Amino acid sequence: MEKAIERQRVLLEHLRPSSSSSHNYEASLSASACLAGDSAAYQRTSLYGDDVVIVAAHRTPLCKSKRGNFKDTYPDDLLAPVLRALIEKTNLNPSEVGDIVVGTVLAPGSQRASECRMAAFYAGFPETVAVRTVNRQCSSGLQAVADVAAAIKAGFYDIGIGAGLESMTTNPMAWEGSVNPAVKKFAQAQNCLLPMGVTSENVAQRFGVSRQEQDQAAVDSHRKAAAATAAGKFKDEIIPVKTKLVDPKTGDEKPITVSVDDGIRPTTTLASLGKLKPVFKKDGTTTAGNSSQVSDGAGAVLLMKRSVAMQKGLPVLGVFRTFAAVGVDPAIMGIGPAVAIPAAVKAAGLELDDIDLFEINEAFASQFVYCRNKLGLDPEKINVNGGAMAIGHPLGATGARCVATLLHEMKRRGKDCRFGVVSMCIGTGMGAAAVFERGDGVDELRNARKVEAQGLLSKDAR
Amino acid sequence: MPVFKAPFNGYSVKFSPFYESRLAVATAQNFGILGNGRIHVLELAPGAPGVTESVSYDTADAVYDVCWSESHDSVLIAAIGDGSVKIYDTALPPPSNPIRSFQEHAREVQSVDYNPTRRDSFLTSSWDDTVKLWAMDRPASVRTFKEHAYCVYQAVWNPKHGDVFASASGDCTLRIWDVREPGSTMIIPAHDFEILSCDWNKYDDCILATSSVDKTVKVWDVRSYRVPLAVLNGHGYAVRKVKFSPHRRSLIASCSYDMSVCLWDYMVEDALVGRYDHHTEFAVGIDMSVLVEGLMASTGWDELVYVWQQGMDPRAS
Repeated sequence: MEKAIERQRVLLEHLRPSSSSSHNYEASLSASACLAGDSAAYQRTSLYGDDVVIVAAHRTPLCKSKRGNFKDTYPDDLLAPVLRALIEKTNLNPSEVGDIVVGTVLAPGSQRASECRMAAFYAGFPETVAVRTVNRQCSSGLQAVADVAAAIKAGFYDIGIGAGLESMTTNPMAWEGSVNPAVKKFAQAQNCLLPMGVTSENVAQRFGVSRQEQDQAAVDSHRKAAAATAAGKFKDEIIPVKTKLVDPKTGDEKPITVSVDDGIRPTTTLASLGKLKPVFKKDGTTTAGNSSQVSDGAGAVLLMKRSVAMQKGLPVLGVFRTFAAVGVDPAIMGIGPAVAIPAAVKAAGLELDDIDLFEINEAFASQFVYCRNKLGLDPEKINVNGGAMAIGHPLGATGARCVATLLHEMKRRGKDCRFGVVSMCIGTGMGAAAVFERGDGVDELRNARKVEAQGLLSKDAR
Repeated sequence: MPVFKAPFNGYSVKFSPFYESRLAVATAQNFGILGNGRIHVLELAPGAPGVTESVSYDTADAVYDVCWSESHDSVLIAAIGDGSVKIYDTALPPPSNPIRSFQEHAREVQSVDYNPTRRDSFLTSSWDDTVKLWAMDRPASVRTFKEHAYCVYQAVWNPKHGDVFASASGDCTLRIWDVREPGSTMIIPAHDFEILSCDWNKYDDCILATSSVDKTVKVWDVRSYRVPLAVLNGHGYAVRKVKFSPHRRSLIASCSYDMSVCLWDYMVEDALVGRYDHHTEFAVGIDMSVLVEGLMASTGWDELVYVWQQGMDPRAS
């Protein structure tokens, strides 16, 4: 038997991969003295121009449903401005777009698809540009971006738009019709019927997330969102929307331009949140104050093949790297990001330490705090400009909103920030996450964080 | 085209220098890693596209190579995995064979080559890092050549000089020897990876080709050995055997772990002049007939032996 092992070894030596094409490797990798993190030591040059890049990402302001500035706005009038902004800001010929994929959840499917098609016409897209919708619950906007990236990689087209749209004023959350009695036989199917707030209570109870922690997360979200708004950080990503407010008594229409989110409450404190009663469970911990806001809004992301962007001279805002959707227990659906983020990061060949920025949807403070603690993430890297508890969570649009917020912040941070992650939990028990890389068009200055002494040693050398 | 299905995995195939229709095949059980071996002597039916086995010999270990004697039309020499070298006479019945067996190599014998000019001696190369010289009338090896530092995969006589041979080794060197000299007369570091095979040009006694794990075939001239005459790229995996044509000066055949057999003309710009992908496992044996121009044979781990004319599809029937 030793002879057999030895013969096998000799034969396998013949099949050992030879690096006679070592020149190609050298062209792809080069060491660079950069302080942006361990993963930056080997910067992959974009030789082939075949990765999928984002050249523009925008969103509307997010406004409270039924009471906010978009309460009298038609859903298609929310989507049209962000679609128009993509082509106006990039000066792209709209007929070159291969598909517009819109994530949207609550409206009746065929009607919403028609509204999105109509919005594309309002925005100036010709009839030759296709439109479709996608529904993966709270991650529909992110799924739309991932679908377009996948289609570009597959070679179906070179330019596409991933968008998100939701008007929870027009289409509140509801269950239409009766429930199939078969759910009684399957506990997991039955748990799919749980109100979202009950799953938040389940997360808080099962994983010991206290009311105080949840309220603190909400206070932080509002504080950061208010600071970002005051500092003008949302100016580049938000597209002002011209719309109208209708007086409920007189029916008079007043034209307005909405340019800021209207759900942010800078005066929120632990004391004021402490007065709110739990909504979903007696002696519970989930309140209206530490839950995401029910909102109206839209977002859109313009993706294309890098070689096309270079040919058009468009700066690269970000690079789409990976996407992962995972399933979890429906009763605690909020833990989705804790499972999805590691999956997407691993698929990108990275580690959590390599990720410099996170946008994790704050559906509820309990699941947000749980995911942050479970993954051991640095709070300084998460939702640095506030999250859904302050800004709002228009279900189908949140994914596109988060991509826009993430990429613009990564651009501001420059070399300090190379990889970012967008993630959200999904009703009925799923999680989705995507990894983005900062575009290369940034200057050399680092101004977001202090840099400790850098010995250019790999983390393995610690 | 004739095709023969062997019970074991093929390792080597050789045309007889005396009969147009005869060839020998070396095979090994379990890909030559563990188990028995067998030598088949095949006859090509004249006219009809068939091949029949005239005789076969079983061995206790894998048969890695086989070659015909240049002085007796019925004599075969086999390189065996247990380190033995056996001589068979196909004119005698199987119970009388092998007629002789030498047990000198310490490890697997990988190749055997009969001297085409003197016709009285042959070489064997082994995984024990040595090449041995044997004479038909001697009871033991005449000489052992010990300079290689790793498996010697091939040793092959020069077609014109009866005392000169080349050896290819996994130590990445190609060595040229003269049996009248105490050591090798030339060392060519031909590849950066193991060299699996070599062969001399039949028309120019200074030119030889090597094939390697680095997927290339290189052509060398011993008069200016610092740079190869040609580097032939095209195989996707290690090139297992390389053979110069006996009929055309610059034609080379090669077979590879990428399961293909390639034809090259190293003197033209686009050197790859033919590719045959009939094998469904590693192609490890290749030979060209000296009696019929353009006739080729190959064998591989798919247990098949193909015989075909250049330019034709080996699988055509």
